[in-house]
Parts: sequence; C-alpha cells; structure tokens
Amino acid sequence: METTRAGASLKSAGEQAAAALAAMPRRPEVIRCPICKRQCLSFEELSEHYAAEHPDSVAPTAVTLNVNGLNCSLIIEPHLTLKQVLQLHLGLTGAKEMCDRGACGSCTVIMDGNPALSCNILASECEGRSIETIEMVAVMPKWRPLIDEYCKWDAMQCGYCTPGYLMAAKALLDRNPSPTEYEIREALSGNICICGTQPRHSQAILEAVSRMAKGETINA
Amino acid sequence: MPDLIGANGQREDFRVVGKPNIPGLTSYAMATGVAKYGADFAVPGMLFAKILRSPYAHARVVKIDAADALAIPGVTDVVLWDDPIWSEIEFNPIGGRRPSYLPSEAHQEGAEVGAVVVAESEALCDEALEALKIEWEVLPFIIDLKKGLSSEVPPIRGPEWDESGTYAPPSVTSDGHTWMAVHYPDDPPKAGNVSVTTKSEGDLDAGWAQADMILEYNVNLHDVVSLLPNPQASVAWWTDNMYKPGKTLRIEGAVGRRGAIATMYRLPDDNVIQEGVFQGGKYCDWGLRMAQEITPLLARRTGRPVRCCNTREENFDLCVNIRLASVKLGVTSEGLITAVEDDSIIDHGTPNSSEMTTYDRDWNGYYTLKCENIRQIYSIVDSNRGFMHTCGQFVPYSWDMLTIGIYLIAERLGRDPVDIARLNLHGPDSQKDTRLVPSFEACVEEGQRLMNWDWHPAGGRRLPDGRLHGASFRYQMCPRHSFLKYFTKLEYRGGVVHFPTQGPIAGWFGTECFTMIAAEELGIDFEDICVDYDYRAEHTDEAGGSDGVTGHGWVVKECANILKKKILEAAAREAQETTSRFGPMEFPKPPSPLTGYTAEELDIMDGRVFVKADPEKFVPFAQATAETITADYGGHSPKSAWATGFGRKLDTMNTSWCEVAVDEETGEVEILKYLVVADVGKVIRRTSLESQIDQVVFFSQGCQLMEEYILDPETGVKLNGNMLDYRRPTTLDVPVVDKEILELRSGDGAYGASGIAHNLANSHLIVTAIHNAVGVWVDPPATPDRVLKALGKCEREGGNQ
Repeated sequence: METTRAGASLKSAGEQAAAALAAMPRRPEVIRCPICKRQCLSFEELSEHYAAEHPDSVAPTAVTLNVNGLNCSLIIEPHLTLKQVLQLHLGLTGAKEMCDRGACGSCTVIMDGNPALSCNILASECEGRSIETIEMVAVMPKWRPLIDEYCKWDAMQCGYCTPGYLMAAKALLDRNPSPTEYEIREALSGNICICGTQPRHSQAILEAVSRMAKGETINA
Repeated sequence: MPDLIGANGQREDFRVVGKPNIPGLTSYAMATGVAKYGADFAVPGMLFAKILRSPYAHARVVKIDAADALAIPGVTDVVLWDDPIWSEIEFNPIGGRRPSYLPSEAHQEGAEVGAVVVAESEALCDEALEALKIEWEVLPFIIDLKKGLSSEVPPIRGPEWDESGTYAPPSVTSDGHTWMAVHYPDDPPKAGNVSVTTKSEGDLDAGWAQADMILEYNVNLHDVVSLLPNPQASVAWWTDNMYKPGKTLRIEGAVGRRGAIATMYRLPDDNVIQEGVFQGGKYCDWGLRMAQEITPLLARRTGRPVRCCNTREENFDLCVNIRLASVKLGVTSEGLITAVEDDSIIDHGTPNSSEMTTYDRDWNGYYTLKCENIRQIYSIVDSNRGFMHTCGQFVPYSWDMLTIGIYLIAERLGRDPVDIARLNLHGPDSQKDTRLVPSFEACVEEGQRLMNWDWHPAGGRRLPDGRLHGASFRYQMCPRHSFLKYFTKLEYRGGVVHFPTQGPIAGWFGTECFTMIAAEELGIDFEDICVDYDYRAEHTDEAGGSDGVTGHGWVVKECANILKKKILEAAAREAQETTSRFGPMEFPKPPSPLTGYTAEELDIMDGRVFVKADPEKFVPFAQATAETITADYGGHSPKSAWATGFGRKLDTMNTSWCEVAVDEETGEVEILKYLVVADVGKVIRRTSLESQIDQVVFFSQGCQLMEEYILDPETGVKLNGNMLDYRRPTTLDVPVVDKEILELRSGDGAYGASGIAHNLANSHLIVTAIHNAVGVWVDPPATPDRVLKALGKCEREGGNQ
C-alpha cells in the first residue's frame, strides 16, 4: 500500500530517488548467461560458455558506465539500449520509453552535458561518457525549485513524459540559466506530451529560473 | 437521497476549493521519475512475452509451425491460438467478448493474432516470432467507408461477432435514458458490412415546410490516433500465501483492474495483489490490453514471472473514428433552424471498438436547438482501419456538424454566428423553453469583449502583412457523468482524516479535487488529509475529466459532511466524560473546553473544533476524539445532465473563439488567438482545470492542422503508425490559449460545479476560421499543401491521395 501525505511528497520523492541511486549495482552480483541462465564466475567464463554453447549468438560485453557520478561495471548484451540498461540493469525507471525511435524525448538523459535520447543509444557505446538521469536531478537541492514549479503549475498530467521534459529543461538551464520564453519552447520542442501540457512548461521553467536566480532552494 | 448542504451548497467563502498552484499529491513522484508505470516494472528471473501481430489488414492464420522458434536457445514457450490453455481464462468483463481469447483472425494490421512467444529476453522473443512459419489466408479488407457501403462488398466480419457481443443492446440508465448504443431494437438487421440506425423526432415535413431555404453541406471528421503515452505492460507471477487458500497472483502494471483480472482468472479479489497506481494517460480508456491480461496465464504455465510490454506501434489505437456527415438544414429567412437531417457514414472500426464517441445518436449538439424536427440516419460500416478504445477526454462528439451549420447560416444571411447561435439555442430547461440561457450569455459577453469580436464575412479582411484573417465561434454544453453511482469513504483515525483510494492516477488530478472538497467541508487544510493509495480501496478516480470529478465531488462533499457530523457528535460525547480509562484503570479527566455543549453547538474550522457561540473555546481537530470514525457514501447528485438527455438542459455552457491568419502564397495557417470562455459552475482545482483546457486545444489543433492517420489503399496497412511520422504539436507549435473561467454555480456537481465540456475538444473550429479567411473549405488536417490545393494553387496534396 502506498500512502501519500499531501504536501510531503517532494521529500518522499527525493528519498525514493536517493534510494534508487543508492541501490544501483556497481558490479554484477551474479553473472548469468542471458540465454540459458547458467551461472558463471567471471566475464571470461561467460565468454567461454558463449563460444562453446551459443556460438551463433553475439556474446555479452563488459562495460563500465558512469551514471550519476558512479562507475558501474556491467555485463550486457550489446544490442541493449541505454534506456534498457538503466531500467533492467541499474533499476532506474526515470527515463521512460514512449515512442522507441527518438521522436518523443521521454527517455531523455544528459550525456556529457547534452540532452540525449537513451532509447536510441546503445549502452555499449556509452563507456567513458558521463550520464545523468532524473533521479540525480531529483536529489540535488539546486534543482528543487524546477521540480517544485513543475508540480505547482501542473506541467504534467499523467506524468509519463515529465522526467524527459525536466531533463531537457535542466540541460537548457545548465548552458543558459536565463532563457527567454522562446528559448525554452525551442529547447523542449523535441519532447512530446500526449496529454497536451505543452503550453505549461515555459511558465514553470520561468518561475523556477526566477527562484534559482535568487539562490532559492527548497527544504524538502 | 441525502443532501446535507444542498446540491449547489450555500457556501460562499472558500478556503481550499478553487486555489491555484497546489502541487498534486503524486506530482513530485511523477516529476522525479520514481513513479512506476506498467512498463517500468521488472522482477528478477522474469521471462518476456510477445504477441504475434498481423502484417495484413485482414487475414487468418491457417497454420503455424513453431518448431524452429522453439529450437532457439532461450525461447521457452510458444502458445498458439488453438491451445486449450486459452479456455482457462474468462474474458475481461471490461472489453467485450470475442470468438476466442487469442483469435486466429486479425482485423487490422498490427492486431494480436495466432501466437504468443515466451523467452529469456525481448530480443529472443523477436527472434522467435520471426522464426515462426506461418501460413496466412489474406482476406478482403475495407478501409474506404464509401466502398464498404456497397452491397457488392462481401462481409468482412462473420456472424459470430454478432453473437459474441459486438452489437450489444443499448445500455439503459436507472432514469431510463438510453446511451452508448449502435444497434437499437427498431433498427433493421445488419446488411453486408453496414448497420443502419435511425433516430427521428418531431415532424420533418413540417420543418421543411416552415423553412425559407435549405442548406446542405458535408462535414468530414477524420480519424485521430492514440492517446496512450505509455506502453501498456504488465509483469505477473504466482505465490503461495499461508493466510489465503489457493495461489495468490501478483500483477504489476494492470493498474486499477484487480477485479477484472480476478474475474479473468476465476480468483477471489483478495487473491490478486496489484502493485502500482500510475496508469499513464488513460482518458476514458477503461480496458486493458492483451499484454496486461495474459502474463498471469503465461506465468502459471512457465512457473516464472512473465513480463509483456507493447511497443508504441502496438499501442497505436484510434481515439476518434471517421464520420462523413451530410447535413441538411431547413432555415427561415431570420436564421431559425426548422429541420435537421444528418445522414452520416461512420466507421465502426474493428471488432469490439468503442460504441461511444462518434456515433451515439443521443450525444450531439442538435438537442441544444429550439428546433425539435431532427432526423439522424447513421450508416455504420465495419472496417479494418483500426481499433478504438473509448476516449472521452477528446471527444468532439457530433458537435461541429452544428458549428458549421450555424456558421453557414451566418454567412448566407450576412450575420454574426453568435447571433444565429443565440436565436436557435433553446432555454435552460428544455427545447420548448424560449428564454435566453444565462450561462451562454455570460460566456458570449466575455468572449466578444476579450476577442474584440468584429465579425466579417468570408474573405472580408486582410491583415497589414497581407495574410487573410479569419475568425470562428463555437458553443458547447457540459455533459456530466453525474448519473453514475460514485462511492467515497473517509476515516478519522488517530486525529487524522484518511482518504483511501485505489486511484488509479491517470492524468486528471481527481483525487486532489476530492481532497480539496473534503478539506473544505471538514474545516481543515488540504495538507491535513492523508490520502492512502490502496488497490483494495473502493473509491476510484475513474470518473475522469473535470466533469466526472465534479459529479463525484458532490458525493465526496456529502461524505465529508457525514464524517464531520460524526466527529462533532463524538467530540461532544467525549467532552462530557469525567473519567478516562486505560485498561482496567480509570483516571479522572480534566474538563474539556467543549464540556457542556452539544454537537449542534460545535463546528470545525482552521483545524479546531470550537463552540460556535464562543470560538475561543476549542480543542485541536487532531484531539477532537479518540474514536476511529468512518463515513461512507455512495450515490450521485440529484440532477444529471446525461440522464435528462444530452443537450436538453443548458445549465452551464462553454464557448471557444479562434482567429487565424492564412498565407495564400504558402498555405500556412497561424492561430493568432484561441480563447476559451467556460462557465464551469465552480472551479474546484484551478490549475488542472486550465491544464485540461490546454489539453483539449492541443487535441483540437493537432487534428485540424497536423494529425493524419494514413493507410495504404492497396494493402490497408498503416503508413505512419509511429510518433515520428504521425505529427503532433510540440512546444513550438501550440498556441497560447487564453482562458476566462466563469463561475455561475448552476451545475449539479459540488458547489454547482460542472467542469469543462468534453466537446470543448473540436474537429472544425480552426477549419471554420480558415474558411472565414479564404472562403473555401479545407478538410482537416489543413496542412499547407491542402490549403493551397483548396485555393486552386497546387495540383495535388501530400498525404494519402
């Protein structure tokens, strides 16, 4: 049962995001063959198992991803997207999959400072890149006014696309802390909200910019 | 029926209700990504499932050889349509029956058919699906409704669909009102692919005789696609529970549908544990998808958790079907409509598509007219275009057939369409009521003022930059859900008011509205109410949209007042006690400030229970009583607009106003101004009300200027069944929507609220403004190429021509 005490949810949401970050595995607890689930003791043993038992299949690869400032060593199938790895290997559900082809922006993360569509990027190509997800933004006091204003202005309805919009907004504010209304709309134009909240984001971001310019943070 | 403070209430001062910018109860969870939707769930050791989809618009699986698929390492199961396992589940009570659960016949491209594969990963599922050796029987299809009308086209749907519930008898409300029906008892039998239903009222011949002119016109409502943002998905597994007999099913993702899943799997409700409250944007889309229904079956068969998740393309369902209306109006020289005949061809969609939205003959604007001579003839054609779930949030119903009629009368007579609308609109109480409608008049007065309304005939105004200016006007009434029976329970426990609800959270901030109403009535703050999301709670927010919320809000208001009365009675009773007990021991109790007063002499405000005659005598609300007090209430408000017949009562009205600029050289259309003046009765939660107006304008703009569902005429398959090729407005496209909210308090929800109209969403307001600019009709979507073609400036347009 989920219980929500009205008015206390910024804190509880931040705590849940922090818990998700803390639970990210830094290395695989158990190494299993993705095809037959056989347990292996090392990546090398898994590679040998593949060569012997699944010679027609593409073998998993070992990668180290820097996600939210933490290095996570993973063994993944090379066809997995960054979105799939964030969810299935790291337990982070903030990047959402909607269109599955880079048209909607719901899966937006920030990679090396730029917004990136995690459903269109192979995780195996992200080694050495810095990846930020919404869970990290959720726990940073600096960005609480942004989240708070999104919630105050209902810049969401069902909420599914909202983390993607927030990541696009965060990437904009990282490089331009005082955007104009048009610059905001332009920066968010790669995102789609099917509930039709498009006109509401600029208001929320402008209010947040105003608060952040005053150095305001929110005690969650 | 109790009505503790009256249907509209006498309350004038509001502390909580109507306040803007109060964050939603779960908004922070949604914004921070910690909210989990069906596709977000994953459990250790789970298998993945995928369903075979038809590559043809209409086809039957004759035979499937799954040997190669099963030989792929990591593929654990292939279940075919003729496997006896499908008889182990009942049909979902919400969603309609079909000849078999997993059919062998597909009625549209992408339909689930023939086989389900289960494997260790989604990629292996894809590999297995490709390895299936399938023998298809490709069948004739209909995507052109006019061709489908022909008696020479063989039926695309067998008689088994009639027996399995597609043509269900009309639903009848407790008030005797008929709704949501395609086939009425008096209708002729279906012939070929066409069901014809006719509704005739008044005396058409007399109406034509009274007319000085006959106006005939066509309105083409095209199909609009897919409101579901999130892929529909679930994960399920079975466990033993030492406290319950039999197996317990855990399912994540089939949010708000525990009862339906329990019915399907013949389980007591208590043996189904449902995780998650976030449903995604499901606006009056009540059903589950197969991906959410079959995971328990596959989990039982494999002995492991199973996840099934649709892709975007697999969720590309219709939300509005095609309607091709030929309308004939009898009109006097003054502009008064004397007769209406609407002869429409309407897409029935694929089997089990919703019977709501485009072809319910009871829900349209014609009944707002003084004219009572109305005949509707609907030819409803079976097709293979697509499946439509019920999607009420964006339903324009049949409103714009009338919008365009009023506009055309104005054009013909050289008069303002606002005046034509006023002349034809019946009074507040019935079609025979000739009084002006106060709500309409208030909306129009504000609309004309805010628009600087200065009507001109088509092609009559050019802007300084050379573009042509066009304007349009439209009115709607609000059809509230208020005939449904709603249920709410509130509990005072440990000094805190708890509001248990199962949700689901689906995008309309209903729980927030209900919490505000309860706080208002209880004299406490919004933040003082603890909302308990519990899938076992009876309260559900499924009264979607602002009109459903206001109807359900009336019940919450009643429930809160019952709770308040009980709290005051308990507080007065406890204040009389001179001792308190702790186990067997009894202690003297100091007198309470409330001692000596009856419940009737007490009230609650600002978190205090106080003596009305002496407010300085109070106890904190949290210490009002040590008792646990429960109040529940089920019912609906005394008046119900739907139950009294759509359009025949005009208590709260909305108006929409649009100005466009059309560039004759490029065909581009710019929305210069879009104004909604809505009398919502009473604002409950201002921010989400405004957001819902943004939502319907987003829909209206999209379907009139951008969105087009394109099928290949040769094969019937979708050519743009994805979000890249099916264009929707972005932040750079949407206009600023000006909103003026009026509160005349004459609705039948809480405090006289009614919400905005479903049919504030429209299919032709912008298109009508384009006509007013250029003098020719452009069928939506009015893309630049279509505008240029309508102006005779290009040979052919893009799209599917």
